[in-house]
Amino acid sequence: MRQLLAIRYLNRPDIEDIIERAAAHRERIKERKPVPQRSHLSVGLLFFEDSTRTRVSFEQAAAYLGHRTVSFTTVGSSLRKGETLRDTVLTLRDEGLDAIVVRHPSSGACNLAAREFGGPCVNAGDGSHEHPTQALGDALTIQDRKGTIEGLTVAIVGDVVHSRVARSNAWLLSKMGAAVRLCGPSSLMPSQMTKLPGTHCYDVREAVHGADVVMCLRLQKERMADGLAGSVRDYANNFQVNRRLLARHAPEAIVMHPGPLNRGVEIDDATADGPSSAIGDQVRNSVFVRMAVLDWCFGEVTA
Amino acid sequence: MRTALVGGRILDPSRDLDIVGTVVIENAQVVECGVDVKALPDDSTVDCQGLWVSPGLVDMHAHLREPGEVHRETIATGTQAAAAGGFTTVCCMPNTSPPLDSPTLIDFIVDRAASPKAGGIFVAPIGALTVGLRGEQVCDLAALKAAGVVAASDEGGPIQNSAVMMRAMEQAEQVGLPLLLHCEDTALTGQGVMNDGAMSAMLGLKGIPRCAEEVAVMRNCLLSLHTGCRIHILRVSTWGSVELVRQAKYLGAPVTCEVCPHHFAFTDEDVAEFDVHFKTTPPLRSEVDVDILLQALNDGTVDAIASDHSPFATYEINTPFDEAPFGMASLECTLAATLTYCTQSGALSPLETIRKLSTNPAQILGLDAGNIAPGGTPVAQIALIDPNHEWTFDRSRTFTKGKNSPFHDVAMMGKCVMTLCGSEVYRDSAFDEGRLSAATAL
Repeated sequence: MRQLLAIRYLNRPDIEDIIERAAAHRERIKERKPVPQRSHLSVGLLFFEDSTRTRVSFEQAAAYLGHRTVSFTTVGSSLRKGETLRDTVLTLRDEGLDAIVVRHPSSGACNLAAREFGGPCVNAGDGSHEHPTQALGDALTIQDRKGTIEGLTVAIVGDVVHSRVARSNAWLLSKMGAAVRLCGPSSLMPSQMTKLPGTHCYDVREAVHGADVVMCLRLQKERMADGLAGSVRDYANNFQVNRRLLARHAPEAIVMHPGPLNRGVEIDDATADGPSSAIGDQVRNSVFVRMAVLDWCFGEVTA
Repeated sequence: MRTALVGGRILDPSRDLDIVGTVVIENAQVVECGVDVKALPDDSTVDCQGLWVSPGLVDMHAHLREPGEVHRETIATGTQAAAAGGFTTVCCMPNTSPPLDSPTLIDFIVDRAASPKAGGIFVAPIGALTVGLRGEQVCDLAALKAAGVVAASDEGGPIQNSAVMMRAMEQAEQVGLPLLLHCEDTALTGQGVMNDGAMSAMLGLKGIPRCAEEVAVMRNCLLSLHTGCRIHILRVSTWGSVELVRQAKYLGAPVTCEVCPHHFAFTDEDVAEFDVHFKTTPPLRSEVDVDILLQALNDGTVDAIASDHSPFATYEINTPFDEAPFGMASLECTLAATLTYCTQSGALSPLETIRKLSTNPAQILGLDAGNIAPGGTPVAQIALIDPNHEWTFDRSRTFTKGKNSPFHDVAMMGKCVMTLCGSEVYRDSAFDEGRLSAATAL
């Protein structure tokens, strides 16, 4: 039994193991070979925060593996009646769920859920902390496109301070031997970065110059309301990853985005839909990686 | 009936006294104290060899949660915890439900503290500085003082409006009441939950910048300088705040300040993997801040050590980090943590340790406490401290209802083994019965 709470806790062999399992699942599904079934195991999908793509991706992954899933969102659940996260998790444990997948708006909430649950647990995004399955899917995508992660230069651009995707990717890519550059407006960057991997800068041209991979982060519009980033147009002018920027500074780079996209803000149409875009692959791979993560958490397949 | 505390190291900072001698208590009062004092044959005696005989400790800053929040603490459990921690006076903060903003509520506190169920120590109420602690309208400070408050405070509802604070200081100065000030610019704190730094960046938790504290410290020091009002800055946590207080004192502002044990025992790195026990306000800072706080204790810039005892029910802290309340239950380990982290390291001498924990708080608040001079206090208030007692703090074995202590499982050096307050005695399990003479009924 394992728990996947953060990439920060993983070592390189774990990451490679998960990516290999994901690639194997993809192969099986592409060739319509049978996927080892674990229909005796049930998985609870606990989404305390709105998310369509991640939830559907996990549901799809669980379906391929034959898991019974129980979907649980804040709407129409006892959470609306004031039940605490801890009590919810204890209840699901006692009702016999074999594993849980947790998405929660609070950083560290999955650590709490995993501790109380005691069994296999996957973090599907906790606050601004980590989103490990997103990073694992991104790693598979990069490996497909670039052959390897080792030695690459990856620029992660945008709202770094609030981004769990940025943190998980920074950890994963640096553990796998890539050079990570974190970039964003200073108001959207952490004040101190000594405990995060990689280097940082505040100029997008510097960040993407010569990069092999450029990752855009979603700019949440409510940050603008908090006065953290000037106007949307300001942001787009200074930090948008677009055709002109890439042509000049990183012509060979692939472009990634965790979605959903704010077209015209952090990325332009030409880039999102162009040949360098790996956004579709990211979504496809996310399912295989989540299958691999469920495998990895449950332990060896006994089929 | 006389009781003699024989052969202990007597520490009385009010007289700069650090001697080995005997203290005699008769009719619940200290009647003799000195090197040459001898116990009479009929006296019951306590052999205090190897112990410190200290004035009972004075905690300027505790949350006893009554009225309204008795699931967290009561005056009874809070005073028992205080007595176990060596305190004979504990000041209760006004951010209760409702806040202590009227004489009636002060009467209620005084009544509760006198109940036989309480810990047998003194409770000194702190009044709310503004009505409802809303930071708008200053309370009738004269009426609060007449009801028995020893200070007024905006704890739990820091006054944001500088004009309101200036009026509050003018009135407090006129009434002669010191103010205990919660220095925080809440707009700068925002939704922050821990120190803004590398650790918050890694954990993805919202940071509280140090300037959220320092801006308010500076403003309050300037207003104190302007109005002449005596103010005491609650729980200073950053080196910047220390420097601001140092400057204010240099300029002649009647400013004092305190630190809390968790701010010199821990840093933001102890938040580690989202441990809610390490969530407090102001937040745990960095190594540099800890160094400066210890230096400032040593050089006298920091006047007092207070617990900021903030008990919570367990269900309230069994939450994700950013939903958990700020605060730690620490009355029962404030002395031990101070001895372990300050005294053992040499930052404070034994005499200065007691000064920070007893004499200075008593003087800042004008209490009859903080000394063991014969007749120096209306009734004897004494803590017997074993400075070499090694033990491990266990938050499940405490009197307080709040089990939210970050000091759980921390190895401690030094403990209060007996607390005497008038005729009330708390005897710790670490107290060696063999120290009592046959006739002693303590």
